[in-house]
Amino acid sequence: MARLIRTEKEVEGRYEEVWLVVEEDSLDQWPPGPREIVGRPAPRLDGHERARGEAVYTADLKLPGMLHAAMLRCPYAHARVARIDLAPALAQPGVHAAIGPGDIEQLAEECGFEGAPVAAVCADTFAQARAAVAAIDVEWEELEAVLDPHEAVARGLTIGEPRVKERGDYERGLAEADVVVEGEYRTQVVLHNPLETHQAVVRWLGDTLEVYISTQFIWGVRDEVAEKLGLPRDKVRVVCHYMGGGFGAKGGADDHTFVAAELARRTRRPVKCSLTRREENLVSGNRNATIQRLTIGARADGKLTALGGEYVNAVGWDGWSSPTEGPMNLLYACPNVRTTTVGARINQPPMKAFRAPGFVEGTFGLESLLDVLAAKLGIDPLELRRLNHADHDADQGREFSGKNLLECYRRAEPHWERRHEVRARSTAAVKRGVGMASQIWYGGGGPPSYAWVRIGSDGRATVVTAMQDIGTGTRTAMAMIAAEELGIPLEDVTVSLGDSARGPFASISAGSSTTPSMGPAVRAAAADARRQVDEIAEQLGKRGAPAREVVSVLEDAQILGKGARGPNPTGMQVLTFGVQVAEVAVDVETGEVWVERIAAVHDVGRVINPLGASSQIEGGIVQGLGHTLSEHRLHDPASGRILTQTLDTYKLPTIADVPEIVSELVDEPDSHLTNLGSKGLGEPPIVPVAAAIANAIRDATGAEVHSLPIDRAEMLRALREAEARERARETHGAAARV
Amino acid sequence: MELRRASSRDERVDGGALVLAGGTELVPLLRSGLVHADELVDIRGVVPRGISDGAIGAAATLAELECDPQVPEALREACRLAASPQLRNAGTLGGNLLQATRCWYWRLGWACRLHGGAECFARDGEHREHAIFANGFCASAHPSDVAAALLALDATLLTNRRSLPVAELYRLPTEDDRRTTTLAPGELILEVRVPECDRSTYLKAMGRKRWAFPLVGVAGARVGGEVRVALAGVAPVPWLLEDGFESATPLPDNAYKLDVARALVARVRTALA
Repeated sequence: MARLIRTEKEVEGRYEEVWLVVEEDSLDQWPPGPREIVGRPAPRLDGHERARGEAVYTADLKLPGMLHAAMLRCPYAHARVARIDLAPALAQPGVHAAIGPGDIEQLAEECGFEGAPVAAVCADTFAQARAAVAAIDVEWEELEAVLDPHEAVARGLTIGEPRVKERGDYERGLAEADVVVEGEYRTQVVLHNPLETHQAVVRWLGDTLEVYISTQFIWGVRDEVAEKLGLPRDKVRVVCHYMGGGFGAKGGADDHTFVAAELARRTRRPVKCSLTRREENLVSGNRNATIQRLTIGARADGKLTALGGEYVNAVGWDGWSSPTEGPMNLLYACPNVRTTTVGARINQPPMKAFRAPGFVEGTFGLESLLDVLAAKLGIDPLELRRLNHADHDADQGREFSGKNLLECYRRAEPHWERRHEVRARSTAAVKRGVGMASQIWYGGGGPPSYAWVRIGSDGRATVVTAMQDIGTGTRTAMAMIAAEELGIPLEDVTVSLGDSARGPFASISAGSSTTPSMGPAVRAAAADARRQVDEIAEQLGKRGAPAREVVSVLEDAQILGKGARGPNPTGMQVLTFGVQVAEVAVDVETGEVWVERIAAVHDVGRVINPLGASSQIEGGIVQGLGHTLSEHRLHDPASGRILTQTLDTYKLPTIADVPEIVSELVDEPDSHLTNLGSKGLGEPPIVPVAAAIANAIRDATGAEVHSLPIDRAEMLRALREAEARERARETHGAAARV
Repeated sequence: MELRRASSRDERVDGGALVLAGGTELVPLLRSGLVHADELVDIRGVVPRGISDGAIGAAATLAELECDPQVPEALREACRLAASPQLRNAGTLGGNLLQATRCWYWRLGWACRLHGGAECFARDGEHREHAIFANGFCASAHPSDVAAALLALDATLLTNRRSLPVAELYRLPTEDDRRTTTLAPGELILEVRVPECDRSTYLKAMGRKRWAFPLVGVAGARVGGEVRVALAGVAPVPWLLEDGFESATPLPDNAYKLDVARALVARVRTALA
């Protein structure tokens, strides 16, 4: 029976209360361990077509009569359009239409960051459109740019309400501490850089708007476009069959879609609006910089007595203030915690969610400082983490639906044990060491999400749901779940997804939620179909016969199953956990850091496809490696203009930078969570990377890095500081002996 | 834009025409609007490409040089550590010597001194990858690994007009003349002559393991007891380290380069000893 509930919906640490109609989730979970199909490695169903270039991405689309759009963007960090004349653009060859400030709300006269869209042109070719944009006659009035986050906060330029979280008595906790450590940590701006830049092709068909878009949320785009354009939601069709990566930045329709829609309306032609790589690196979102002032107090036995954090998120001109304080509030059992978080509004391009927003940054600070504490207490870092293991969520006062972090720690032991052997391989110039960091993050998904399963008389099944596979392999995971439940071979299942006109509502692919949101719905739909097959078998006197044999009598008749995602467990906190152990080598003369090995052990409930899961872990670690060592979006300190717009200056890791990666999953179903017990794995692997590497560097050299990325300048600075500390200690020691 | 194949080494290349070889530098510059051309003249047919007796054709690709045993170690390593395999398959020796700085201000078209403007934005701005020598007028860093190697190897260039030591190909930009090379219009580098040396090597510090321009590149070549050391990524031109680091003038955010350079120079000297 459909049930109306008031429930909390969480995406990437942001909660909202919503009314939901949910269906009972009456299926029992499968027993733990690999099944016939689920839990066994399966190559991606669409691997070959993607490798052969047959898969059609939004970037590949060429609709008949399609025009190309280009945008005029603000070249200053803060400016106002004093005067603009689109006529010269309209006079250019091939141009069909031009729009400017006021024509749509996305094009505005005041621009709070470099790259803010001001006008747009569409033409027969992209080159013509760009040339026409260059011909626009525009005069700018440059305005004062606020770039320093502290200054912005002091001037009241903030985004969102400052968050204060306090439990226990922080001051008393500090007073009770035998040891107090403090540190300031900074993280940089990094960019998503998906292989496929943000883009959309928009076409009007009568009163229906078709939006082909590279997106993480088909239904979100549908609703946003319908609302802003005043259309009935079902008159907007959103399509994304294949997607070239999003990492959090493709959750909304964005300016380019509305530009394309307006130009398509004016020209009555399909219009494509694709961001260039430079535009992508300028305006499509970023992981914002943070400043973290952290304090940890502990008793001599290692028990934490106080955790304090003052966090500043340098949000940019727009966006939201991500939960940088999350790990401090959730990761450890500590009775006294106080965090304050403020989002600074500065004249920089807006942030967007980026793979575990806030937690990646917050984990770097917290877990780095925890190792400083471990050294001060003389307690093994792994032991210190065990000592302070949280058995419930003290922040929200909830039980965890499932938590196997201690098991992750246990499985990390052999990797942690390697540190003696690794250190022993140090030379005078190259020091080696091992570090670890814990991971905590969301990833439970939630309702609503729906799926249908259709079985024909040939015994083949099709899963129909309007979800998107953003490149993570969820298409394959859904087929595996359906095949498992139906008891048919994986190759007999097709997944139809990526089109809001062809299938029911499906979850956003963000917050590590696709598998935990969609998987249970697909299983429920398959079970519904399976029940009907069993009923037919009963009537045929073929009880227990294979589904293929049973349905062979159907001719054109079909079995149609439907399923919905059930609710999350009431009053429980659903989180993912893990630990990573990094091995590094540091050239103490040149400041070069090599990461030689990372072992990752994560707990995300039941694993659907171990091959897909290891691929997610590797991808997360590689992206984390870039965040830790080489990626840095730079701006000119005087003007605020962005300097790293191309991939020669913005240094993503290459395959030569990638270490040996050993991945392991606890693979224990979360017994409270849905009919699968599965959580998401998109984000967890990136969370602890930076801290594990920083701690390994500390283990190798004694140097404490405080800023990301750990480039040569930061590494050499930390080494000099460590040397000075060592010298001071020796001098002090010598003085004391005298 | 027209593309034309050159039929002789002395073919007129003037007006709005530019010379094209591998295209790995010119094409991005054209695309980003930093240079303009009505016509491209493909010179690959008229510039030598082979390697023999210490003479290397300027049209040889970096990929060809990195694995040829006739090529001195410093040059081979400089090629091997440059760019990516795809770029090295296309990019030529001559073109590599003539590449422009990677200074982000210059590449984004800011009206800086190198573009004829009145200001070096990097000096007071973001200069962590910029020059630590001769950076008073313009703090751009020369990105060529190959040029540093050839400078250490004391190579000579043969053009269609003259023969010159590689050091004389380069000039520091000045108020009156913002160019960083001495090549005349229509002048083509045809050949690079590398004298014999006892040993040579090239070490490179990058912002990641591969496919990055040098933060600091150090080439060294030993002839008898003499070691010539030249650096990439530390000055607006390839830098011959004549009087050590005395003359270095690092900026607030690139002093680390001095540490890196000292360490790599010491290693190069040790390796060549």
